[in-house]
Amino acid sequence: MSKTFFTIFCLLIYAFLLAPIVVVVLASFNSGAFLTFPPQGLSLRWYVVFFHNEVFWRAIKTSLWIAAVTTVISSIIGTMAAIYHVQFAGKLKETVRVAMMAPLLLPEVLTAIALLFFVYTIGIGTQTVLPLIIGHVLITLPFVFINVSASLESYDVSWTMAARSLGAGPFTRFWRIMLPLIKPGVIGGALFAFIISFDVFTISFMLKSVGMSTLPIQLYDYLRTNFTPEAAAVSSLSVFLTLLVVVVTEKFLGLKIHRF
Amino acid sequence: MTEVSIERLTMDYGVHRAVDGISLRIRNGEFISLLGPSGCGKTTTLKVIAGFEHASSGAIRFDGNDVMQVPAEKRDIGMVFQNYALFPHMTVAGNLAFGLEMRKLPKAEMQSRIAKVLEMVQLSSHADRYPNQLSGGQQQRVALARALVIEPKILLLDEPLANLDAKLREEMRVFIREIQRRVGITTVYVTHDQAEAMTMSDRVVVMFGGKIAQMGTPAEIYDQPASVEVAKFVGQVNLLRMKVEAITGDGGMDVSGPFGVIKVKSIEGAAPGRAVTVAVRPEAIDLVSPSEGQAATIASSYYSGSLMDYRARLADGTLIDVQTFPRQRFADGEAVGLSIPADRWWPLEVTA
Amino acid sequence: MNPLASKKRASLLLIAPAALLIFFFLVLPYLTIVVMSFRVPGDGTPYAPGFTTGNYLHFFSDSFFLQQTFNTLMIGAICTLVCLVLGFPVAWQLARGNSRLRGIAYGIVLSPLLVGIVIRSYGWTIILGNNGMINRTLISMGLVDRPVGLMYNTLGIVIALSHVFLPFMILPVMAAIQGIDPSLESAARSLGASRATIFRRIILPLSMPGIQAGCILTFVLSLSAYVTPALIGGSKVKTMAVTVVDTLVDTFQWPFGSALALMLAVTGAVIVVIFARMTRMKWKAA
Repeated sequence: MSKTFFTIFCLLIYAFLLAPIVVVVLASFNSGAFLTFPPQGLSLRWYVVFFHNEVFWRAIKTSLWIAAVTTVISSIIGTMAAIYHVQFAGKLKETVRVAMMAPLLLPEVLTAIALLFFVYTIGIGTQTVLPLIIGHVLITLPFVFINVSASLESYDVSWTMAARSLGAGPFTRFWRIMLPLIKPGVIGGALFAFIISFDVFTISFMLKSVGMSTLPIQLYDYLRTNFTPEAAAVSSLSVFLTLLVVVVTEKFLGLKIHRF
Repeated sequence: MTEVSIERLTMDYGVHRAVDGISLRIRNGEFISLLGPSGCGKTTTLKVIAGFEHASSGAIRFDGNDVMQVPAEKRDIGMVFQNYALFPHMTVAGNLAFGLEMRKLPKAEMQSRIAKVLEMVQLSSHADRYPNQLSGGQQQRVALARALVIEPKILLLDEPLANLDAKLREEMRVFIREIQRRVGITTVYVTHDQAEAMTMSDRVVVMFGGKIAQMGTPAEIYDQPASVEVAKFVGQVNLLRMKVEAITGDGGMDVSGPFGVIKVKSIEGAAPGRAVTVAVRPEAIDLVSPSEGQAATIASSYYSGSLMDYRARLADGTLIDVQTFPRQRFADGEAVGLSIPADRWWPLEVTA
Repeated sequence: MNPLASKKRASLLLIAPAALLIFFFLVLPYLTIVVMSFRVPGDGTPYAPGFTTGNYLHFFSDSFFLQQTFNTLMIGAICTLVCLVLGFPVAWQLARGNSRLRGIAYGIVLSPLLVGIVIRSYGWTIILGNNGMINRTLISMGLVDRPVGLMYNTLGIVIALSHVFLPFMILPVMAAIQGIDPSLESAARSLGASRATIFRRIILPLSMPGIQAGCILTFVLSLSAYVTPALIGGSKVKTMAVTVVDTLVDTFQWPFGSALALMLAVTGAVIVVIFARMTRMKWKAA
């Protein structure tokens, strides 16, 4: 009896977690002019509208390339930091961890404000895309760091020693032994970095250069004044893109690792 | 084929001195064991020889050439790790090929060498398996093969049998020793298991607290331990306090104790009236009839299949451990005699 | 040259890029906010030369801001509580469940993190709006005849924020429960403890580190959330984070906005420290 109750309670929470996402996807197929429930009829009408909307497409392109650049930078810097953290930091280990996690633990809105003031104080301002990229790297860094660190914790340093004893120099050891073995963590971290960067709002909102717009910003602007299901179509596409990235990554990069 | 010499090697970790000025010469093709409890510096010594740790002072020479500045990857050593450290993302053949690739060997030679070594460790049919598809003993053999296939100057083994079960461990002792003899490679073997060190090695180096406590053949270590610590670490031992009665002219001395006056080798600092500790191994003692040996009663007994362990109480209350074969059985409380050949007494140190 | 020291120096190159990034673009910027909060408000420019404590006096003398800070803290506290109550059972199920559905369940828990916050908040406006899913259902079922106010109020903000941060509660609690040896439960049962006692005396205390981490994370994140309160609360109900952004972006009062942001951060931090003290685990100290 209590077990059934417990299971039902959990199922309701899973439904709660999925609800807004499912609702957005359903709403995007609404044929009516306004967001209503239940949908007045099924159609792809709002997808067609959205496919002809230059503004959203520009925003998607901007978001994609910013996420790509951010992912590359963040993955490299974060992986290096994780290697230092797990294998070399010694007594500094906890300090390094706290510092690396700080961007996640500090309020995003405060970080965004801080960066905005800072770039104006040092005079670079938000004329270029640089402050925004810095902000994105900062905010995605903890995700790469924790993922790679977790992989490294189960990486046995005697693998490195074995490679050394067999004559492998530092680069060979990294490329042929360590990287393949921590790959799940690196890929997981990069995936997170990409998705977070693609979705992040506040940092982009504060640091974007004039006239620039990422998808979340464009969507937010739109939602402040419009209530047509076009936003739902855009959102659904964004959800779909994210899913696609996850699936493709899993399929092509998430190779099986043979462990003991 | 390489001779290794270690000279006054010292290794400090901050304030802790892990290795304290040890010197050691390992002959060409010799199998040497570093034996000691955990934290005695044996693994650190091995890592310094391998080049994974940098000594604070001292020298290491391979065939007379100082290798202290040579990084591990250039030392040309083969190493077997306690957890094997097989690369989990490579097959058995891939693991073996790795070291050969580093040496840029032609493909054909690589293959023939791998085949040869795999045959030696009896794993020819497992070349395409991944490490996680192998049993512990098989992984162990792959680790050995990987270290040998590069034909290194020396072979280093760090507690390679520690993760195997007891029966397999005994089989592997013989296996490793036979391969080592066949290849004729200079080998340093680290272990905390005295039986392992004894059965496998040409010479055993016993280490305590970063220092060499004794170095010698297994028989020397066992029969003529240099100190109480060594005697206790290597096998079981009865330690008896005795009094020096006289120093005899032939390098011996007369000591008295529960077994009356006996003659043993004289040791440093011994003088009439001083107390000495004298050792006798349990299996050196024969159980005879009370009239034929030192009278004692059986206090307790333990049967372990191939052997029988007794604890016998002497008239003065001293407890003596005796190990015999089960063919000869005594009941608890039975009166017996303890007979010890004169040459099995071994004096260890002067205590007062 | 000591090879150990050179190796240590080489390893610093690994951390250097991240360390420089965090120092220059996180530490220094946060110091900039502190400095900014003491600047003199400008006229037509974000700020004027000179320094003042006036921004803080302004905050303390205006009951509107004090009230709003209080409201924001309350919303954070309620969200944290809701997340804990909803999250613990799920965390338990994920940590101890062994069904094949576990992977899917885990995916569902992670899914909100993979969907942008704007989209999630938008989803909630569809559900909670006056013309939304819930109200439509209620009206069509004849339970109410006018829409129930679910949006543009605190209730809506709490519902949406709890959804947004629920994964941040579930994941650390799940990790903590996974760290509890199941044989402890068997041991307690063999000693005669009931299910309820096992939960109260064994599971709860041992999962405290996860609960603590989850609560702190959820609380801090809800205080500083911007998008969700902005979209759900609209112009009627504002949290401090929304007011701060409005002050900075819409009215360009950088010094005062900084002071507001810092006051929220400081009160939040004080509460977190008190909470951490209260839930400190003596057995963890060793």
